[in-house]
Amino acid sequence: MDKIIISAFLLAGSFFILIATIGLVRLKDLYSRLHAATKAPSFGIFLILIGVSVYFNTPMVYIKSLFVVVFIYLTAPLSAHAIIKSFQEKDKDENEKES
Amino acid sequence: MEHSISIVVLIITFSFLLASLVLAFIRLLRGPSINDRIAAMDVIAVVIMAFVLVYSVLINEAIYLDLPVIISLISFIGTVAVSTYLKHRNG
Repeated sequence: MDKIIISAFLLAGSFFILIATIGLVRLKDLYSRLHAATKAPSFGIFLILIGVSVYFNTPMVYIKSLFVVVFIYLTAPLSAHAIIKSFQEKDKDENEKES
Repeated sequence: MEHSISIVVLIITFSFLLASLVLAFIRLLRGPSINDRIAAMDVIAVVIMAFVLVYSVLINEAIYLDLPVIISLISFIGTVAVSTYLKHRNG
């Protein structure tokens, strides 16, 4: 029973990461690409971490997984915000030069 | 070495992750702007973290969970540093 749960979590997590990279390649704009590249990998790594913690099942592993989840969910929106900020500055400069 | 997880599941997981690494590298190679390349680097860091986690299940060693903590922090610092540099160079 444990085996089935761990396998399902690992497969679902890697599937979400695959979906995210398909979106990263196929979408047209930088904004939509970043929408695909920020949310789905966080969720995928969250599912994989749940599977790994259930597999090892020791307190240290649970604490480290909690650290990774907190870092990922704190830093993914911040890095996406920084990327979009730099892109918008460049966009604005180019528009001012044209007009 | 005996596994409690079936090897087929681990091979399918590794193939998914390898396919996503290839796709992220495609976006890294032909991104129109440099911001696309930074986003692809961010995704590549997440894929490598997933690789390390699944590999720790494969060889049954819990010590490998230290690596994703470090990779997440370093990837965040690199992304923000490059983006801030681009912003100040343009502005």
